[in-house]
Amino acid sequence: MNKTLTKILWLSLLFVAACATDSLAGVRDSNLYWAPECVTVGGKRVDTLLNFIFYLTGAVFLLTQVVYIYYLVKYRKRPGSKAYYSHGNNKLELIWTAIPTAIFIGLVIYSNRLWSELHSEPPADSVKVDIVGYQFGWDMRYPGADGKLGKVDTKLYSMENKFALVPDDAAGADDFSSTELVIPVGKPVHIYLHSRDVIHSFYVPEFRLYQAAVPGRTIAWVWFQTTKTGNFQLACSQICGSGHYNMKAPIRVVTQEEFDKWQAGKNAAKAAESQSAAATASPVLVVQRNKAEETP
Amino acid sequence: MSTSVTTFVPESHADTHHDHHHKQNFFFTYIWSVDHKMIGLQYLWTSFAFLLIGGLLAMGIRYQLAYPGVEVPLIGRLLPSTIATDGVILPGGYNMFFTMHATVMVFLVVMPLLIGGFGNYLIPLKIGAGDMAFPTLNAMSYWLYVVSGIIIVVSFFVPGGAAAGGWTAYAPLSSTAAYNQTQLGQTLWCLGLFINGLSSIAGATNYITTIINMRAPGMTMFRLPLSVWALFITAWLLLLAVPVLSAAAAMLCADLNLGTTFFAAQGGQPLLWQHLFWFFGHPEVYIMILPAMGLVSEILPVFARKPIFGYKAMVWAMVAIGFLGFIVWGHHMFVSGMNLTLAAAFSVSTMVIAVPSAIKTFNWMGTVWRGSIEFTTPMLFALAFVSMFVIGGLSGIFMASTPVDLFVHNSYFIVAHIHYVLFGGSLFGAFAAIYFWYPKMFGRMMSETLGKIHFFATFIFFNLTFFPMHNLGLGGMMRRIADPTVYDHLRALQPMNVFVSWAAFGMGLSTLIFLWNFIWSLRHGKPAGKNPWHSTTLEWTVPSPPGHGNFDHTPTVYNGPYEYSVPGMDKDYLPQDEKAPEGARLEVH
Repeated sequence: MNKTLTKILWLSLLFVAACATDSLAGVRDSNLYWAPECVTVGGKRVDTLLNFIFYLTGAVFLLTQVVYIYYLVKYRKRPGSKAYYSHGNNKLELIWTAIPTAIFIGLVIYSNRLWSELHSEPPADSVKVDIVGYQFGWDMRYPGADGKLGKVDTKLYSMENKFALVPDDAAGADDFSSTELVIPVGKPVHIYLHSRDVIHSFYVPEFRLYQAAVPGRTIAWVWFQTTKTGNFQLACSQICGSGHYNMKAPIRVVTQEEFDKWQAGKNAAKAAESQSAAATASPVLVVQRNKAEETP
Repeated sequence: MSTSVTTFVPESHADTHHDHHHKQNFFFTYIWSVDHKMIGLQYLWTSFAFLLIGGLLAMGIRYQLAYPGVEVPLIGRLLPSTIATDGVILPGGYNMFFTMHATVMVFLVVMPLLIGGFGNYLIPLKIGAGDMAFPTLNAMSYWLYVVSGIIIVVSFFVPGGAAAGGWTAYAPLSSTAAYNQTQLGQTLWCLGLFINGLSSIAGATNYITTIINMRAPGMTMFRLPLSVWALFITAWLLLLAVPVLSAAAAMLCADLNLGTTFFAAQGGQPLLWQHLFWFFGHPEVYIMILPAMGLVSEILPVFARKPIFGYKAMVWAMVAIGFLGFIVWGHHMFVSGMNLTLAAAFSVSTMVIAVPSAIKTFNWMGTVWRGSIEFTTPMLFALAFVSMFVIGGLSGIFMASTPVDLFVHNSYFIVAHIHYVLFGGSLFGAFAAIYFWYPKMFGRMMSETLGKIHFFATFIFFNLTFFPMHNLGLGGMMRRIADPTVYDHLRALQPMNVFVSWAAFGMGLSTLIFLWNFIWSLRHGKPAGKNPWHSTTLEWTVPSPPGHGNFDHTPTVYNGPYEYSVPGMDKDYLPQDEKAPEGARLEVH
């Protein structure tokens, strides 16, 4: 018994030492033993379910362990003690089969209802973003002035066509790209997930959201609505190669005004870029460049 | 069946111990042995060697997570260049560590230890048979396991290094050389698993045949000890699930090396791999826990001096787990891109499979209820198994709930969960079994003092290591990332990572106490005698260790396996091969 006590003491010391070595304390400084603050509407409903399961399983755990440990102490071997001869009790078997079954049925109904509600049709006024994972980073694509995302054909991913846009779809011509995910607070955001190479996953703990991006496919059922502005990080949470650990992208949840301003700036930049691209692609310039290449 | 065995080692008789006069037969006794007991011990020793390797890899993982970018002391500079530069673990090297840690622990430690080791050693002894149905196949099974282990471990030292895409090897990362950059390592991984699969399939065939055909007279199915039932059901799971993995590994190997596109994004389907892998992978979880459940069900009655509570309920619960285990694989794939309604359906079957696990837990509690409990080392591990399994089972409910999986999927929460089931469950069960059957295997008792130190150290460090992982997971820490500090939201959790790592180092050291005890007791342990625990099953009716052929003459079985504290009897246990004395009031069920 003494040994156990020494061990506990030693471990507590270790824990204090470990806490003292905290030279990296970063953004979060409170509530470190639970989930980070949730900032999406759906996420809060996930939290409610999670807390419900936590209290349910916590109660079951405490109840079973208290009974179990009580039995272990009470029925420990003592001089003259004799075990009770019993092979079981069918009534008890039925009871402890029926009760967990009922609880699990309730839980599965609750879970699957929420699951289908979280994956309901995204609202029509959602901000649409195409998110493309690759080894090892993320590209986002927003609809341009027309409000429409250009069509994607996953066979077309290449260095030149990094969003695999279908060339003859006009809706894609004005789409602009971004390396950060910027979203207006309070507005539904509908994301389309793609991958250029291997399976990646979209994971933002503060959103309570995980969804794999599968190469060759479009995952189009994820949408969420934020409740709070702030800076977050998009993490890849599916092992995707040597740079996996660092495959992240900034997320900024901003006010509608800030978002509009950012979007307008992006649209203007895209327009300017398209013009200069059109100019570059003009026959005259092509001819000139060909000539230049020919000169030794 | 056993006659073919005795021709190999003619000097062995039922009552002789393995003594020095066997030296001239060293090769046939210790290397190419076809005696189920020697093969069981070979599995045991070999799995210990791999346990050390897998454990060291775990230490490497924990070092990296606590001190990313810091040179590994002592051995850092000895690591191959694919793993570390200047003694600092590379992200790719870290990926190899966790991939191989899981591969080694699952395929080379837990399965061989529980199924190969205890399955081989105990099945014939417990059913009253002289050996396995196919002794030579049994030996081949062991050697295929050794070959697969060598291939898997050697892959660390090939160009490019070992497989690094996780033990789940999701395609197309695993199936495309340009993406994983470990083509040779991944190919060897496929080959290793394929050969390991052959070993499992051969073993499973052997177990099933033996249990169906070679039971002693009177040993009806419902007089089988629960460990034999557990291994019987496990063998069926192996027989039906492992070929799927073997086929998938062969397809993966073809994708990697022959230009096929089974799992490619264009011309194939990446999710096909996941379906095949988890169709194997979920029964695999039960393959690893069922034998431990069986062994624990065997130990609890002995030290509670009570019959197991609800024997038939225990059997049917395991049968139910066996069937349901094949229709829950999709719960690994709720957020994989699989159809959402299918996810909901898998969530239902997953909740259903929790019911038989709950039944088993209640029956274990019923077994200790009104017992006369003696806290020996095997009993402590068996009792702890129940509690740890409860934690692992309850944390599984979080993931089984589809919306919660949106949050905790692939986080440290699941790392905590799997280790509560696989370490707190399977390995605690294995430790209990080793302390319990060691006297039978080697004729000597393991030291109780060292055993208890080992138990308390392991129990405490285990919980200090894995419990905080639940918190890390809820805190948003992804699994399989080489450096959590690159994320803002994880930097604040770094002290917890440091704490977990030191607890893990403590757990690693506590295992050395066990190995020391194991080796020391071989020579210095107290002589055990036939039946040191006053147990009822047939293996305790023969000398320790049993000689070739196990039984002098085939035993006849009269009773169930758990007749303890029968009223009206002088001694408090009734061996299976003894007729109940006059006046004993056996409960007929």
